[in-house]
Amino acid sequence: MKIWNFFPREALYECYQCARCTGSCPALEVAPAYGPRETILKCLNLGHEAVVQDEKIWLCCTCNVCEDRCPQKIPISDLLVALRNSAARRGNIPGKLSIAIELLAKTGRSMIVHQLDEMRAHHGLDPLPPAPVEEIRQILKKTKLNEVIDF
Amino acid sequence: MKDKPELAKPVYRDGDLRIGVYVCHCGKNIGGVVRCEEVAEFSKDLPNVVVSRDSLYTCSEPGQEQIKTDIREQKLNRVVVASCTPRLHEPTFRAACEAAGLNPYLLEMANIREHCSWAHLHDKDLATEKAKDLVSMAVHRAALLAPQFELTVPVKRVAMVIGGGVAGIQASLDMADAGYKVYLVERSGSIGGRMAQIDKTFPTMDCSICILAPKMSEVGRHPNIELLTLSEVKEVEGHIGNFRVKVLKKARHVTKECTACGDCTSACPQLAPDEFNAGLSIRRAIYMPFAQAVPSRFLIDMNQCLNNQGIVACDRCFQACSNKCIDFAETDRMLELEVGTIVVATGVDVYDPTALTELGYGRFPNVITTLEFERLINAGGPSGGELIRPSDRKRPEKVAFLQCIGSRSKRSNPYCSNVCCMNTVKDALLIKEHWPETEIYVFYIDIRAFGKGFEDLFQRARREGVTFIRGIPGEIIEDINSGNLKLLGENTLLGTPYRYDMDMVILSVGIRPRSDAGALQRLLNLSTDTDGFYMEAHPKLRPVDTTTGGVFLAGAAEGPKDIKDSVTQASAAASRANILMSKGEVKVPAITARIDTNKCVACGMCARVCPYHAIEGSKDLGYYRVIEAACQGCGACVPECKFEALDQAHFTDAQIVSQLDQALEKDPNSKIICFACNWCSYAGADFAGVSRIQYPANVRIIRTMCSARVSPDWIERALIKGAGAVLVSGCHPADCHYNNANQNTLKRVEKYWKRMEKLGINRDRLRLAWISAAEGAQFAKVIQEMESGIRKLEPKAIEVAAEALTKRKTKKVEGS
Repeated sequence: MKIWNFFPREALYECYQCARCTGSCPALEVAPAYGPRETILKCLNLGHEAVVQDEKIWLCCTCNVCEDRCPQKIPISDLLVALRNSAARRGNIPGKLSIAIELLAKTGRSMIVHQLDEMRAHHGLDPLPPAPVEEIRQILKKTKLNEVIDF
Repeated sequence: MKDKPELAKPVYRDGDLRIGVYVCHCGKNIGGVVRCEEVAEFSKDLPNVVVSRDSLYTCSEPGQEQIKTDIREQKLNRVVVASCTPRLHEPTFRAACEAAGLNPYLLEMANIREHCSWAHLHDKDLATEKAKDLVSMAVHRAALLAPQFELTVPVKRVAMVIGGGVAGIQASLDMADAGYKVYLVERSGSIGGRMAQIDKTFPTMDCSICILAPKMSEVGRHPNIELLTLSEVKEVEGHIGNFRVKVLKKARHVTKECTACGDCTSACPQLAPDEFNAGLSIRRAIYMPFAQAVPSRFLIDMNQCLNNQGIVACDRCFQACSNKCIDFAETDRMLELEVGTIVVATGVDVYDPTALTELGYGRFPNVITTLEFERLINAGGPSGGELIRPSDRKRPEKVAFLQCIGSRSKRSNPYCSNVCCMNTVKDALLIKEHWPETEIYVFYIDIRAFGKGFEDLFQRARREGVTFIRGIPGEIIEDINSGNLKLLGENTLLGTPYRYDMDMVILSVGIRPRSDAGALQRLLNLSTDTDGFYMEAHPKLRPVDTTTGGVFLAGAAEGPKDIKDSVTQASAAASRANILMSKGEVKVPAITARIDTNKCVACGMCARVCPYHAIEGSKDLGYYRVIEAACQGCGACVPECKFEALDQAHFTDAQIVSQLDQALEKDPNSKIICFACNWCSYAGADFAGVSRIQYPANVRIIRTMCSARVSPDWIERALIKGAGAVLVSGCHPADCHYNNANQNTLKRVEKYWKRMEKLGINRDRLRLAWISAAEGAQFAKVIQEMESGIRKLEPKAIEVAAEALTKRKTKKVEGS
């Protein structure tokens, strides 16, 4: 997959590494080693091939704050999405994430909810209605997630 | 019989035309793309060409000598130089022709560098073919050139300087010392400008006001300088050497007898923020801008005074003044001044960082700007030079500077503001000097210490313990109880995140063009660059001239610069103006409009469109005539004449039509004819070339002085000859260099669109584009778009359109 078909590579050349993005990143709170600045620099200096191998790109939650504060208006969230698409196709997808997607495809929910039903019963609530599994599977297939993860 | 003036006749007749063509390689600039030998060989076969040569550098001494020798020995009477843009070297080659005894107006240039080799770097064949076309157009035009004689106009030995900052002060003193009368127009109540607000200067750490104040008082007492404070330029008429300027001098309400004792100000009940202290302190409605102000007189701010609009509700200052020098009845006056030269030194505004909400400026009291800091640390400032932070007036122990705020960013100003790095280094050292135990952190992206003594100062700051951290904080969080600030960011050199607790944060804000720079730009017909600063006539060789003759630039109005550069530039501008005034006269280009009084029917249409009232006459007189000294040579009047009585010298209908015909000689359907005005669009196309922006090679540019010179007849001729498309391009509306003459362009093109629609011709084939001298990319974009438009055109459609236009034309001729 040609990642630069999905992201304007020239935009990266505008980056002068001021690090306002990393300084604004909420992922920094939980994983101090991560930052969009470094991701951009690696794309420029090492090539995106090296970046997509790195599990850190999955820490981005696409909150867009970095993009909002970027003085050069680089669409950083778009970059991360493009990188993760590329990474997923190369099989670099964190185990926990692929389990969640598998679960979503099979049960219609991204987490196991049996315990949740017990809790609901305890509080006098009806069990959760069944998820529209087939519809969700169709949506996931349309996004071509099935090409990356077997479900 | 009426007494009708004679028209100058061309000296040469067709039979004895002898044209010399010189194709310049310009080193590899042209020769690396265009096959110059081939172009020179091709030119030999063009009509009336007797000499055709190519040379490595035609503008060099040997290159010019060759032209002179050929003029003498080969009896050349026309010279065509195919090289760079005429905006660069036309004066050079004209001088060479003149030195050899040829009238300088018998030179023609073909722009095969900016408009050809640089714009079509990757296709040598296309570029060479285009160069041939351009030379052929020039040769045919040259054949129709006539000698012209330039009029000499006197230059008034009086100058006006607009803006009383350090640049304006220096320029005024330099011109006044040379013996010329100078009007220094300053908008505020005192001269001094930004430099007066600054505490110390870098890199020498001189006290700013201490070195400026003597110059300010010199201005105040100089016999040749008339200082006009509280004054603004409202109208400018005229031209180089003879400007008539209307200046609005606002009432000061305090007479010359004021001794600056200050009794009035202590009596005044009205308070307002003090602009000089960046709003950090308060002043009264009657006040002195600052202690060292020149003129050293109080003034009343009528927006604050209770006695606004003639209603006297309070006269405490009047009662307090022992000298009785308060005059509520004083009114604004409009002064009419006649000056020969103008120096523009209007300075800059400071970037307002409120928009960068993550930094909290305006919300967190302890986040301030560098200008506010300058006032805080100044002994004459609101805190008397004590470093205190606004929230609790305590001395901060940890101070952070944030660099590049409002600079180098698409969210604010895209350019580097040039002064902020060294200003921060200086400020950090100032704090260290007085309170060495203060911890100082400078958060930066790059420290640009490029000037003399700058690197030394930067290293000194590091030695004295200022910490430099690479990486701008992403966010500042305020602790509501203490007012302290938490900075979140990443140290990019260590690759680790940081959190710093600071007592005060100083935003090193950038500088930007004055918010009302556009008003003066229009009054003086200046150009601005893409950043909004006034543009110089040539970035390297005419750095203080503007494209308007007799108007010069000084200081940061031309681009961000420090005090030293501003002073240097001010002296340069004064020197350029002094040259004009010392000579006392200047030659104006002989490109005026001429009326053939025999053909003139005195309809007066031309006089109606003239932006300079340079055409006079009447029905009774039986004809109209051009006042040559007043005519600026835009040519807007010419297309207006329905009786072929009008023409413009050096830009005659016949000359332009010859260029047009040659451009469309081969394969017209694929060609774009572009009429470009000299000041904006032609310069914009030059800029595209200089920037090496590539665009399709099928465009042929024909230069006119103003887009208003473009006659609908030329458009019609181009379409009849089968041109794929026609582009008419000029300065942006209101930026026209000829007093809005280009509103005629718009009218004429709109009228022609209607005609095209009526005849069923695709109106997209005629395009009107406003392209400024800084918009090279825009020029290329327009050509790209037109090129793709042409590709969709059917040859049949072009033919049908041409037929329809021809039929209409013949019918019209028969009808009349």
